[in-house]
Amino acid sequence: MIVLVGLNHKTAPVAVREKLFAGCLDPAGLPGDILSIAGVREALYLSTCNRIEVVAATDDAKSAAALGAFLADQGGLTDEEAGACLYVYFDDDAIRHLFRVTSSLDSLVMGEAQILGQVKDAYRQALKTNATGVALNRLMHRAFRTAKRVRTETGIAANPVSVSFAAVELAKKIFATLAGKKILIVGAGEMAELTCQHLLGNGAEEIAVANRSAVAAQTLAEKFHGKALGLDALDGELCDADIVISSTGAPSYIVTEPMVSRCLRKRKNRLLFLIDIAVPRDIDPAVDSLENVFLYNIDDLQGIVDENVKNRRREAFKAEAIVNEEVSNYVGWLKELEAVPTIVSLRTKAEGIIRQELTKAESWLGGMENGDREKVEALVTGIVNKILHAPVAVMKEESAEFASQDIVAAARQLFRLDD
Amino acid sequence: MTDLETILFVAACLCSALATLGYLLSLLMKRVQQARVSTWVLAAGFALLSAVLVLSVFHTEGLGGFGSRRFLTIYAWALAGIYLGLQFKTKTRVLGAFVAPVILLFLIAAAGSGADRNLVPPAWQGWLTVVHLVLAIAGEALFVLASAAGAMFLIQNRLIKSKKTGSMIRFLPSLGDLDRINGIGLLWGFVLLTFGMVGGAIWAAFVWEGSWALDPKMIWSLAVWAAYGILLHQRLAIGWRGHRMAAWSCAAFAVFAVSGLVIRFCLPTVHSFI
Repeated sequence: MIVLVGLNHKTAPVAVREKLFAGCLDPAGLPGDILSIAGVREALYLSTCNRIEVVAATDDAKSAAALGAFLADQGGLTDEEAGACLYVYFDDDAIRHLFRVTSSLDSLVMGEAQILGQVKDAYRQALKTNATGVALNRLMHRAFRTAKRVRTETGIAANPVSVSFAAVELAKKIFATLAGKKILIVGAGEMAELTCQHLLGNGAEEIAVANRSAVAAQTLAEKFHGKALGLDALDGELCDADIVISSTGAPSYIVTEPMVSRCLRKRKNRLLFLIDIAVPRDIDPAVDSLENVFLYNIDDLQGIVDENVKNRRREAFKAEAIVNEEVSNYVGWLKELEAVPTIVSLRTKAEGIIRQELTKAESWLGGMENGDREKVEALVTGIVNKILHAPVAVMKEESAEFASQDIVAAARQLFRLDD
Repeated sequence: MTDLETILFVAACLCSALATLGYLLSLLMKRVQQARVSTWVLAAGFALLSAVLVLSVFHTEGLGGFGSRRFLTIYAWALAGIYLGLQFKTKTRVLGAFVAPVILLFLIAAAGSGADRNLVPPAWQGWLTVVHLVLAIAGEALFVLASAAGAMFLIQNRLIKSKKTGSMIRFLPSLGDLDRINGIGLLWGFVLLTFGMVGGAIWAAFVWEGSWALDPKMIWSLAVWAAYGILLHQRLAIGWRGHRMAAWSCAAFAVFAVSGLVIRFCLPTVHSFI
């Protein structure tokens, strides 16, 4: 059966996650340790900053407790902590949870793209140590497939859900390309810095930082290889810049409408995108009424983000449907791996072949007396049964020891039972 | 028109109708996918039109068989070709929603005008006529494109200014791209139309010796040329960009489209074949 044990940002406070994280610093050796737990046949260990999980194929439910104890032991968690934070899922629930994690439905920021890469790394690690087998290999491939389907068939990862990315997206809709665009940062703030970083990542080139304090301006400018200015140089710099990010603590408007409209002619009416993330605002809202000037304040950007978050939640419904579909696909396949249905379909296939061949031979069999004909049929059936006896017996033996999956999978492939 | 030409022409009409439908659907559903497919359909239509034009050159001697139908077809062909060519430079698939209907209109008008009506008079045939016509048509097609981009700029500008959330801003092309297309359209449209008109004037001076200057179509063309020339001047020398440029291009286009139709259908002109 498939078991999933772990904790994530929803169930465990950061202090507990930290402890466990510190205890599992050597992920390369972990799958081996997990495999040595009684009843665990295949295992995969996944660790990200928001979750630590073990997925395993086990003989029975008893191994789950052992897995939980193993994790608690690694992280030095108290029984109380382990009881409160660790979740255990079996079979369908475990598979669904894994698929949801891989598709980024369980992430802190729903739809983020990192998690898929992290799960892939975890799987690669498990492959290296030979910790996975038929069940988990198939399971992980299905998980990746599900994630891909969720990404392409729903809009869950389509639109930015952070203010700085929303600003970058808008800038792209104004300028087409950010290559060669000049950025002017007024004031200093974490959000302005972050937005600037994203703009640079998307091709923007020149940076100027204007600040009341020359030292602060210099520090930020050096970080982005830009130039530092005093606030008095703002007038001239406004004529050069394409994108202005403002976040000062000033009590009144720093960029006023006359300042911008004076620049317009000098700028030859190039488009100007002003981002005002300060509260109270730095840029006079009247600026927005100027031609070819676009002003967005923090509320405007937050409005876009809220809308996008809402969209993602809507898309998540579609994604859950895809996950459910993939879970039932995998469970169906897993059930087939059990010995009994395989033995039945093997016998059905053999009987089908016998009947088919007897019908083909009807022309000369028909000429026989009844007694002879029955003898021929008995002979053929006997031979087929003798041939089938050994594989069927082995499957039964192995399944009694809960180790039939490899052999059953092989039998299904050898006899082409899935076609 | 031979049978093969007719078949190709009808297929091209179908392609542009399908593309128009796809683009409008894409506007309605706010999905770029439909516009992307429509661009390929339009490209197929363009290829078919090219084939029609090549065949018609082979099947007629000189300009003998060239009349309204073929010139309107050349209009549609030039517009489609220029739009598709620009798609290599900028990703503005959705702009097709404004361009494809115009192409379709030209093709419908072409189908509506009889193949043998309004032919170019035999006495006028010469290579300079061909140069004049092709350049003038291409120049006007570029103006159409510049104005379409201007119209879409106005819409996108209003959306961004209104700070409406929703996916429409994301779906329409960026202001920068639209402004760039407007600039390219004006510049090259003006250059081509200038050469086209000079070619026409030189040729007319030889053939008509002076009596040609008062043809309504010529006066109209001169007005279009002058107006777009002024716009281009404002853009390049004065530095008009973005919103103002887009608004004026749209206004100029509206005025010239209406007056052009009036001239075409109400006044006698030596350019009755176009």
